[in-house]
Amino acid sequence: MSTAALHAEHDSHHHDHKESFISKYVFSMDHKMISRQFLITGIIMGLVGMGMSLLFRLQLAWPDEQFGILETLLGKWGKDGKIDPNFYMGLVTIHGTIMVFYVLTAGLSGTFSNLLIPLQLGARDMASPFMNMLSYWFFFLSSAVLLTSIFVETGPASAGWTVYPPLSALEKAVPGSGLGMTLWLVAIALFIVSSLLGGINYISTVLNMRTKGMSMNRMPLTIWAFFFTAILGVLSFPVLLGAALFLIFDRSFGTSFYLSDIYLEGVGALENIGGSPVLYQHLFWFLGHPEVYIILMPALGITSEVISTNARKPIFGYTAMIISLMGISILSFIVWGHHMFITGMNPFLGSVFMILTLIIAVPSAVKAFNYLATLWRGNLRFTPAMLFSIGLVSFFISGGLTGIYLGNAAMDIQLHDSYFVVAHFHLVMGSAAIFGMFAGIYHWFPKMFGKMMNNTLGYFHFWFTFISAYLVFFPMHFMGLAGVPRRYYQFTLVKEFDVWMDVNKLITIAAIMGGMAQVFFLWNFFYSIFKGKKATQNPWESNTLEWTTPVEGIHGNWPGEIPTVYRGPHEYSRPDRESDFFPQHLPDETAPVTAPQEGEQTAPTEVVPQETVESSVFFAAIKRVLGLS
Amino acid sequence: MADISKFALLKTLFWFRKMKLNLFGVKSNSLFKKTLAIFGLMLTPIFLLAADDVVAPPTEFNPMAWDWSSILILVLAILIILVIARSFDIGSLTEKITGKTIVSWNNVNAWAGIIFLVVGLIGVWYEMKIHGKYLKLGDSASAHGETLDSMFYWTFGFTFFVFVVTEILLFYFMFKYKYDKNRKAAYFFHNNKLEIIWTIVPAIVLTFLVLRGFSTWTKITTDIDKNSEEIEVFAYQFGWKARYSGDDKQLGTANFNFISGTNPLGVAEDSAVSSLVNELNGEIKKLEIIKASIEDSSKLWKAQYDRYVSTGMSNSYPEEFKQMKSKYNDLISGAYERQLEKDIKRKNTAIKRIAAYQKDHETFNGTAKDDKITTEIVLVKNKPYIFKYRARDVIHSAYMPEFRAQMNCVPGMPTSFAFTPIKTTEEARASKNDPEFDFYLYCNKICGAAHYNMKIKITVVGSEAEYKTWLATQTPFVAPPAAPAAPTSPKADSTAVKQGTVVKN
Repeated sequence: MSTAALHAEHDSHHHDHKESFISKYVFSMDHKMISRQFLITGIIMGLVGMGMSLLFRLQLAWPDEQFGILETLLGKWGKDGKIDPNFYMGLVTIHGTIMVFYVLTAGLSGTFSNLLIPLQLGARDMASPFMNMLSYWFFFLSSAVLLTSIFVETGPASAGWTVYPPLSALEKAVPGSGLGMTLWLVAIALFIVSSLLGGINYISTVLNMRTKGMSMNRMPLTIWAFFFTAILGVLSFPVLLGAALFLIFDRSFGTSFYLSDIYLEGVGALENIGGSPVLYQHLFWFLGHPEVYIILMPALGITSEVISTNARKPIFGYTAMIISLMGISILSFIVWGHHMFITGMNPFLGSVFMILTLIIAVPSAVKAFNYLATLWRGNLRFTPAMLFSIGLVSFFISGGLTGIYLGNAAMDIQLHDSYFVVAHFHLVMGSAAIFGMFAGIYHWFPKMFGKMMNNTLGYFHFWFTFISAYLVFFPMHFMGLAGVPRRYYQFTLVKEFDVWMDVNKLITIAAIMGGMAQVFFLWNFFYSIFKGKKATQNPWESNTLEWTTPVEGIHGNWPGEIPTVYRGPHEYSRPDRESDFFPQHLPDETAPVTAPQEGEQTAPTEVVPQETVESSVFFAAIKRVLGLS
Repeated sequence: MADISKFALLKTLFWFRKMKLNLFGVKSNSLFKKTLAIFGLMLTPIFLLAADDVVAPPTEFNPMAWDWSSILILVLAILIILVIARSFDIGSLTEKITGKTIVSWNNVNAWAGIIFLVVGLIGVWYEMKIHGKYLKLGDSASAHGETLDSMFYWTFGFTFFVFVVTEILLFYFMFKYKYDKNRKAAYFFHNNKLEIIWTIVPAIVLTFLVLRGFSTWTKITTDIDKNSEEIEVFAYQFGWKARYSGDDKQLGTANFNFISGTNPLGVAEDSAVSSLVNELNGEIKKLEIIKASIEDSSKLWKAQYDRYVSTGMSNSYPEEFKQMKSKYNDLISGAYERQLEKDIKRKNTAIKRIAAYQKDHETFNGTAKDDKITTEIVLVKNKPYIFKYRARDVIHSAYMPEFRAQMNCVPGMPTSFAFTPIKTTEEARASKNDPEFDFYLYCNKICGAAHYNMKIKITVVGSEAEYKTWLATQTPFVAPPAAPAAPTSPKADSTAVKQGTVVKN
């Protein structure tokens, strides 16, 4: 590729300078490099989060045992080989925070939105590469601050990942609410900045920078998912920033947004009056509920793409999938109250939230059925990515169904904050989203690093992780139904809960197995980056545009002109074609030759306009409203 | 601390210098510099803040004391896993050389899926069989719990059916449609009839569940017997207390400002509150004395500090020196004085608030005197109750799984939950075949270090008489005077109270 050609091709916003180490690998503005940075930071954070979960699982399974290794690892928090109760809660809190925000929001959405939005839409880069770089570095800073908070003398934040005040506001109530909590709030504030910078970028790129012929209704479902995710993030994260800000004020400047009528042992009655701890919960869950879809939807988008490609079959119900995503997105903003049925809010309000919550089950069910219908009569290639996608569908079903129990206010009285909840969300948004992330990594690794990952290790990784995830989370349903509360430091003191000790041991052993299974992945991932087999141009024989770019991943993505798009992304196994895929950028040469079989639709034959066409007046209107056109 | 900040400053300046030399290779792009500067400025205070408070590493680096056997086992296990995985690779290598397929991964994975499905379903069945007996279903100890359990059975019926069918379909499709190079996948995009069916059917089922859930929830939360007896349940770090109304059948008012060592629930009772005011006044006086002598004590601390430095004790006793230094710094910087002022101000506010309440005869209406504060809860079978929840410090949640009851206890927002126990403790023991069984109320909202052991026993007795006998053994908040004269007016109350003793709790 000559520099001149590049220059002629893309206009002013790309420079053809020779990049130094720092501008190429550190403060990079190339979306592919930023996605790699997000991914690797996410993996490291994920390891920390997983390690923490193993530590507290050890405590839950063998509360009376002493592990010398804990003292080595944790110092004063692991005196005599036992985890300190305060640090146990710190572990629970930081595990939740890391997994929800740093791994499954930034690690998943940050990686794949950055990688795929420009590549699958046919853009040279993001709308604002500079903002994109800032987004990563704010995320990095935020991660650094959060990890620092683990090492402060009074311990990390330990009020649960939801950090409900007054516990999180009063240093005297729990030591972790001192400096640890301050750092947590700083980290989250930085994280929100990062997430907003990213989200605005994704939205504007999707709306403005699609290539010729890439109308909205020809976008791969991944992009639709990222698009809705970004909108959710942009609308809901500022509310969390507000909530965090009020909490900072309450903690440091003596305001009473969340505090009222409090007497503390050793201090006396506090002056704060008139605030409400429940206000925080409303603000938090106004983000918190969309947040679970921010986590899940990119995983669903990735799964749609991977399943369609590897089933060699068009995704079933493309439009239905988009409408479901849209429905889920809209509904997710008006159901936050189902996290608060038993806070003492008006029972009628509880009923309203219950009805709205259970409505979400309908679009979710449609999505699950659509995945099944896509597999039906397909020709399935079991790449590791495909297996992880199938695993996601399995988790999505088994975890999603228990949402019907918890969304029901009456049953929530019994199940709230029990292990049933732990089982539910770890399956449906924890495991499912992580599996979506793994599917994405295995599928787009050739695009990210130009190398192939080892399939055999991938299969091992999948089956061990899949089995251990079910072994860990499935028995928890039963514990929850028996009324075992979550976030307990040990269960041996209560006879009713002590009968579950054998299950707790099983869960811990399965969790350790799951943790070990990640060695397959880590080895495979880092080894393949350097020593992996060189990737071919289109290793999965996929239709989408990213596979038309050079394997090396050049700055500006395509050496010459950006390809034009002629059809939707899922035209696999078209009866009129010999090969079982038909890339989006190849023009139609001939009309279909073979007659369509019964019950099957004819391939679209309409002439594709060469110019970019807005899919509908609707999106044009959105663009005008946003001032983007 | 000072060294670190100086170092950080120099480092930042150094970076600025470097940037001028265009080391980043980006000419005329001041955005980079600005970004770097912003990040530098943001990073510095945060890490300095943290650096001052970082945990010291384990005192000695002593690998001998490490748990080497565990580490070794861990490393070995990882190695074995990797070796197994690599051996499969050798298999694929021989495939390449010989040209024969040894392992068809498509078949292996398809079969693995089927095996997983079968073993998994057996596992689900096994789990239900062995752990089913621990589930608190169909065994509710409260009246509303039965409707809640039936709600559960309906939901379970629908979801379990969907779960089994869809999971079977998923793994069956995985097996049936595994890759075959001679076959082509079907080509279709959607099927309106199918899609309408699987949208409408879940919608109908959910409508049913929503309506049922709505009526169950509304009944539990709003259909409350007017004759219910009120019991106050008070949550604090880390325990519970219950308050029964005395002979007047009325719970006295309470307020967090009235809480003291002798009045743990803060009930509005004259003598306890007056003694609290005296206590607070005494504390304020003490604090003011300390404040007045602050100059002298800083001199003392300074002498101590100098002695530590001059004799080299600061090196030989680093821990003590560190503590002393921080106290000394607090004194010098005025932080200690500000803290004292804050405490005095807070106590004065409390006194002012109490004084305002004391004028209010609705708060101090004398009903709290005969209230009984207990450390266990005793209920009568088939009698409706309202639990009135209050929290002292942080949010707690009163969870009674056997009674299917849960409600958060929120500081500053009284909550309540109404229910009727329908099983006595004895009956529950008989049905569970466990002579030591007891009902408990647990804390179910993360609330601090001892959250996991915050519970209060609930005993359900069969008859009102048993309950009365128990209640008689509990002491009222203010023990009645020896004379049987019943006081009538609030003024007479306060005189009577002065003779009574305040129950210590």
